Amino acid sequence: MPTQAEFDQTIKSGELIESTNEMTPDYLRELKHTLIVSGDTELISAPAYYLAAKRAPSINAFMTGIAIIQDELAHAHIAYHILEELGEDQEKLIFSRDPKSFRYPYAFDVPLDSWTELVVANGFYDQAGFCLLGDIHDKCSYGPWKRGLNKVMLEENFHLRNGRTWMKRISAAGGAAKDELQRAVDWMFPLSVEWFGLPDDKKMHSTQLEYRLKGLTNDQLRQWWLSTVVPYCEQINVSVPAHKETREGKDVWELDYPFPCEFDAEAKRWDFKQPITWDAVLERWRERGPRNAEMVAMFQQEFHNFRKTHHRES
Amino acid sequence: MINNLWAALTEVQDPEMPINLVDLGVIYGVAEREAGVVEVDLTFTAMGCPASDFILEDVRDRLLQEPGVREVRVNVVWDPPWTTARMTEAGRDALEAWGLAV
Repeated sequence: MPTQAEFDQTIKSGELIESTNEMTPDYLRELKHTLIVSGDTELISAPAYYLAAKRAPSINAFMTGIAIIQDELAHAHIAYHILEELGEDQEKLIFSRDPKSFRYPYAFDVPLDSWTELVVANGFYDQAGFCLLGDIHDKCSYGPWKRGLNKVMLEENFHLRNGRTWMKRISAAGGAAKDELQRAVDWMFPLSVEWFGLPDDKKMHSTQLEYRLKGLTNDQLRQWWLSTVVPYCEQINVSVPAHKETREGKDVWELDYPFPCEFDAEAKRWDFKQPITWDAVLERWRERGPRNAEMVAMFQQEFHNFRKTHHRES
Repeated sequence: MINNLWAALTEVQDPEMPINLVDLGVIYGVAEREAGVVEVDLTFTAMGCPASDFILEDVRDRLLQEPGVREVRVNVVWDPPWTTARMTEAGRDALEAWGLAV
């Protein structure tokens, strides 16, 4: 184990850390936490996307949906595999944890009920993943993860393309199809904005930034996401509650609603007249959303069923 | 004109890998059937190619940018089946540089 001074020097110099021998216990803990959030997010997107991919409008679209799910599972595997190398038990992490202890964004607990909602998820949620992982890919001090993300980033591009292409198509179709798209955007946009967590002025200190596990703050990541999503939605004639302002020569994306505010997950509806505190948001996240147990059961249940059967036969 | 069309197709990237369709070897033929109407024979690396929709769209969009092209017809063909032997040397290099053994 390095001395604190040696470790601080490594972090300061911008060098990569390649093994646990070069880590302090605190760095290891923070790295594991960051990997668990990443692995859980990729993993849970598989059941969440699958429930909606089943409603694909053509065999070709279904194939694309399933290919995306395959990618997401592989991305989850990268994170869990690294966790295993860092001393965690992959099987326990995936199959034996309580659903509420999974650390993925709340958005995945709200069910995607149509192909339209799935492609908006590809356009919005995968863009959020792209920003978060792109930043880690760019800045992460842990070498094995940084390199593993090379391929992840490329595949996420494909997911974004599926989202954007279909959103454009559905919008161009007009009528009821476009109304459905707008309704999906209306509830999924603010959930994606929330994805990036507490605003910088509420978050006093970030160990993840200090250790170069990531490079951008929550607000910087949120601005990046807005700068890609808002212009695209405007281009395809879908309205979103945000706009661009220029301040001191810089583009800044402003939300047109109080952030955070009240969300009815069952009705998939935001109440922009009802601002709430971040404590209330954190409480909603802790409680988890409507489909948390169901999503986690989708991969945990059969694992345990198989084990039981297998045990009986042998 | 045909040479220009082939050149245009070298600008169409595979949506999943950093390689263009010509170097990947999935373009089997390009012909002008009548004035302004271009026909492309194209295959996919797998029948279950998840990107097939995007590839067809990209081929059409790119060829329609060529002067004198007003219609693009794409035939998806499976004979002969695609294998890695159909890739060009440049394509092989591109994928190897990216970390994929071919």
